[in-house]
Amino acid sequence: MPKRRDILAIVLIVLPWTLLITVWHQSAIAPLLAIRKDEGGEGRREAGGQDSKEYCASDKDIVEVVRTEYVYTRPPPWSDVLPTIHIITPTYSRPVQKAELTRIANTFLHVPNLHWILIEDSQRRTPLVTSLLRETGLNYTHLNVETPKNFKVRGDTRDPRIPRGTMQRNLALRWLRETFKNNNSQPGIIYFADDDNSYSLELFEEMRSTRKVSVWPVAFVGGLRYESPKVNAAGKVYGWKAVFDPHRPFAIDMAGFAINLKLILAKPQAYFKLRGVKGGYQESSLLRELVTLNDLEPKAAHCPKVSSAFIDLSVQL
Amino acid sequence: MAARMKLKLKTVFVLYFMVSLMGLIYALMQLGQHCDCAEHDLPKDRAISRLQEELYRLQGQIRQLEKAKQPEKKQPPKSSLSTIFVITPTYARLVQKAELTRLSQTFLHVPQLHWILVEDSPRKTPLVSNFLMKSGLTYTHLNVPTAKERKLQEGDPSWLKPRGVEQRNEGLRWLREDRKTEPGDDGQQGVVYFADDDNTYSLQLFEEMRSTQRVSVWPVGLVGGMKFESPVVEGGKVVRFHTGWRPSRPFPMDMAGFAVSLRLVLANLDACFDGEAPMGFLESSLLKGLVTVDELEPKADNCTKVLVWHTRTEKPKMKREEALQVQGLGSDPAVEV
Repeated sequence: MPKRRDILAIVLIVLPWTLLITVWHQSAIAPLLAIRKDEGGEGRREAGGQDSKEYCASDKDIVEVVRTEYVYTRPPPWSDVLPTIHIITPTYSRPVQKAELTRIANTFLHVPNLHWILIEDSQRRTPLVTSLLRETGLNYTHLNVETPKNFKVRGDTRDPRIPRGTMQRNLALRWLRETFKNNNSQPGIIYFADDDNSYSLELFEEMRSTRKVSVWPVAFVGGLRYESPKVNAAGKVYGWKAVFDPHRPFAIDMAGFAINLKLILAKPQAYFKLRGVKGGYQESSLLRELVTLNDLEPKAAHCPKVSSAFIDLSVQL
Repeated sequence: MAARMKLKLKTVFVLYFMVSLMGLIYALMQLGQHCDCAEHDLPKDRAISRLQEELYRLQGQIRQLEKAKQPEKKQPPKSSLSTIFVITPTYARLVQKAELTRLSQTFLHVPQLHWILVEDSPRKTPLVSNFLMKSGLTYTHLNVPTAKERKLQEGDPSWLKPRGVEQRNEGLRWLREDRKTEPGDDGQQGVVYFADDDNTYSLQLFEEMRSTQRVSVWPVGLVGGMKFESPVVEGGKVVRFHTGWRPSRPFPMDMAGFAVSLRLVLANLDACFDGEAPMGFLESSLLKGLVTVDELEPKADNCTKVLVWHTRTEKPKMKREEALQVQGLGSDPAVEV
């Protein structure tokens, strides 16, 4: 009996140490040591206000130093490494047009490698928009196409049967296909941004890594606090958390996805459907021709706050 | 038997000690070593270090550009630009974060701007605190709740009671307190601007207001039911006001249409907004104690350009959210919107 007790004691004492040594070899401790030797760790603190766009994990590192040196050149200098974000914005004349465009330009001036494609719903390019674009200093392309009167929204009521901005967005897609026909090597991301929305700067950095089509939650749409894709444990989209017709093939708002330029160039027939599109199906009419649900890349899931929300969502519904 | 046990225990302890010592030495030796991490060199780490190199290169470029630009533009060094103190009242509602985000993206382009954000709340909310921390702006976070009887109730039209009065006054109070600790002429240099969180500001506006000596004024777009309201300038002086509503007011303009020099604010310690003033007289309640119409400084090309718009944000339709919440299936409240 004492012998067994002794043996038990020895086993109990030695066991944790053997576990520790085996875990040590297999765990991330070795690569952590490697990264610390890399100078990369130091520099993150110098990056200041610009860095918080890259990815959320660095927030805690840089909070105190953020205010020391903010740089005021606008827009930021062009980088050869970052993929270009092509922003497609249809716009039309109304009293608040200049205010909305000013506001959104102030946002875009923070984003490096941004190319703004602004398409007016008008017969001719208006001087208001022309001079506004020139004064911002942004890298832009100014196009225009007039929606024929029988397609235009009557008065100002939002009639969902007539999607607004469709012809303008299609023109932009066609322009991109013509401009980047032979130059397949330039990486680019396409995002449809309306002039009356609010965009956080992190969003643009999230979408830069899009391989085919990436998706994320959008607030204040479809009568909800936010609509979002439903993501399973494997990180794949399997449905949509939306109340307005959640069985749409892509129950997502125009501001909720971004497409890699290569995909647009590879499928030259994909456009937004102009006629006979039910309300809320416009986004699906394009995405259906480009990707399946399985190919979608959910973003905004790396940030600790939102990623836990994603887990909750998939459990709740 | 007992002795044997004791002995055994001793050896067990010695063994324990030796093992842990060896483990410690092993770990310490590992720290100094160059380890072969080929299998741990994840593509993500590579991407991160590549992006960081890119970031340093870009920052270096930016600094060079800044240095090159300065002699051309004859821009005064940053420290001698007078600070613009922007006082913004805000309150919790669905679109608060969206509005503040948009506003901060504009302010980030303006050098020497100090944002004084005053919440209408008994406590500082985490949403605003975190937002300000990440914004990259120089800021002061204050809060003061509006008295219940002064607050707009759910169904009230927005013009019924003046909003943001206590908050703006609190901003002024803080500013006056803060400047007491900075004696000397430098501390008195600055401009105070009352910016609401749902308006749209062009960057040129801030450069126009920096040279305010007393009170400067300019047109405001989309306000008072007009395309724009504006002071009318003749011979470099404001003679009257172009407005559609109650032009008999001492200062018939919107909160976004004027800026006050810090010196004037500090010289008149009692001047503040009067919450009891009738509709539309809020701005006048402050300005009449500070300046006369004659002394107003017109900006924006003698008040011919619109550099600020009194935009309003539509309240988002939450019918479906409310319906879901009744069933207990509302959007996850943990996700900050």
